[in-house]
Amino acid sequence: MKNALDFQRYVRRLQRDPHQALAVAGLVLLASIWLIPIAWIVISSFKPEVEIQTLGFRIFPVNWTFQNYYNVLIRDTAAVPVVRWFWNSVFIASSTTALTLFVGSLAAYAYSRMQWRGRNVIFWFLIATMMFPPVINMIPLYKIVDELNWIDTAWAMVVPASAGVFNLFLIRQFMIGIPRDYDESAKMDGASDWKIFANIIVPLSKPVLTLVGLFAFTGSWNDFLWPTIVFNRRQNLPLTAGLQLLQGIYDIRIAHIMASTVVAIIPTLLLFLMAQKYFLSGISISSGVKG
Amino acid sequence: MVSKGSRVGIIPVLFFGPHLLLFLVFFLLPAFSGILVAFTRWNLFSSPVWIGLDNFREIFFNTESTFYMQFWNGMSNTFRFVIMTVPPSLILPLLLAAFLRSRPPGFSFFNAVFYVPTLFSISTVMLTWINMFHRRLGPINVGLNLDINWFGTQPYTWIALVVITVWWVIGGNFIIYSASMADIPVELYEAADMDGANGIVKFFAITLPSMKHPILFTTVTSTIAQFNLYGQPLMFSRGGPGQSTYSMMMYIRELAWGSGASIAGIAAAMAVTLGFFIMLVSFAQLWLMWGPRTKEIGV
Repeated sequence: MKNALDFQRYVRRLQRDPHQALAVAGLVLLASIWLIPIAWIVISSFKPEVEIQTLGFRIFPVNWTFQNYYNVLIRDTAAVPVVRWFWNSVFIASSTTALTLFVGSLAAYAYSRMQWRGRNVIFWFLIATMMFPPVINMIPLYKIVDELNWIDTAWAMVVPASAGVFNLFLIRQFMIGIPRDYDESAKMDGASDWKIFANIIVPLSKPVLTLVGLFAFTGSWNDFLWPTIVFNRRQNLPLTAGLQLLQGIYDIRIAHIMASTVVAIIPTLLLFLMAQKYFLSGISISSGVKG
Repeated sequence: MVSKGSRVGIIPVLFFGPHLLLFLVFFLLPAFSGILVAFTRWNLFSSPVWIGLDNFREIFFNTESTFYMQFWNGMSNTFRFVIMTVPPSLILPLLLAAFLRSRPPGFSFFNAVFYVPTLFSISTVMLTWINMFHRRLGPINVGLNLDINWFGTQPYTWIALVVITVWWVIGGNFIIYSASMADIPVELYEAADMDGANGIVKFFAITLPSMKHPILFTTVTSTIAQFNLYGQPLMFSRGGPGQSTYSMMMYIRELAWGSGASIAGIAAAMAVTLGFFIMLVSFAQLWLMWGPRTKEIGV
């Protein structure tokens, strides 16, 4: 729909086809309902706690206030370190992304553009392990992380996360598709593997590296169970896991819970806005939609 | 050492080595050990004691044991959840995508509305919805004029968990279905129009058959995801009312890292069993999708 004329034509089409019009109306209704939870927490976060407790159900606040946000972000930071959790997540997710991209692209290069004995065997073994359910790994992994003295540190999340095969697989598939001419001419000029990798292949792989970066980042950010196992001190928790504690701490102070949730949601949405193009195209690639 | 594509040299090792090392230590080793631990009695700190199949015998057959109750309760709750959640999370986005196939005005808007929830983490989703279901102050009871205690009465707790989960996940499947529907040649639909076919006929005769791969893929990924059910019942009602929504994953976590001594052996046995079912689903995908087509992946 590029302009008003298109829209008019569409409305006229709907007028001629009542079934279609009904379905469209239903869809609009569904979409509105879909948004209600989000709208609800945003609006409620501006209600004074007192109002909620005494006035019963109201859609909009009588007196809009920023007090809840102030409390969450400034006053209550010892008991509810939401901002600290946020920065923990930023650090952990960024480090995970960096490590995953680094070891993943190096390995993908080896599996796609280098010849060495055992290459295919090892690669297909790795692929086979992708089916293995992570639930079985949890208990020994905890012990390993404990032995390394990584409990309560970011390492416990960053390092195991980069050991996965899925991201490696994506990068390798992409690199397979890069034409060999680049390597050939570079090799004839005497370039080393590292030079070819860093100066030619990596820049050409930007699309898949961006995609994998997003997967790694959001995967780490959204991790819920593992952080509660490896972190002991409340201050060190990343955001997603830390939010579990809100109900216990704020209890019936609903507006504060709302405000904290909004604070947690905003960075994710910003990420979405910035990376929309890559997110949407990325999902098609990895799901094999082309059949 | 020859610099041109070393066949036996150390250079490839420098490239694939780091990842492989991480993989061996942080994936393969725990994977093997995770299975072994299921055959031991262990509290995570002193040495594990080999007890063979005792853990499995206990959780599968020993009706006197708490772990038996937990195992069967957890497995049935998790299975129940998978059966309740996966079909709507596949069918609803399929219908939506089919309806929006013609990309009417506002398509980007709908796209975004359904997709945004998938970007929320599980805890923000739960915090968002817990207040929606508040008995006195939540829009659901107030808006529909109900007085249901969603957190303490079945089947309402299950209903709430399914609603929340579907709200959260359908965006991902919607995007996948939309994208693959866009690849179906428009001519097929135009030909059907000329024959006077209506929307329903077109859906079953053209759309659905062209969607075999994405439907298979999303069925498998959705199923596996829901087998790992943990955050929703935990944050909604702590596995309640009673332990009626306590998932298998919750029991595993409680036994291995809950208060008191760790019962890692039993937890591992439960994990292995849960993992077995997840692997069945994965194997099915592997065979159905890639089995006959390994050539295409560039072996």
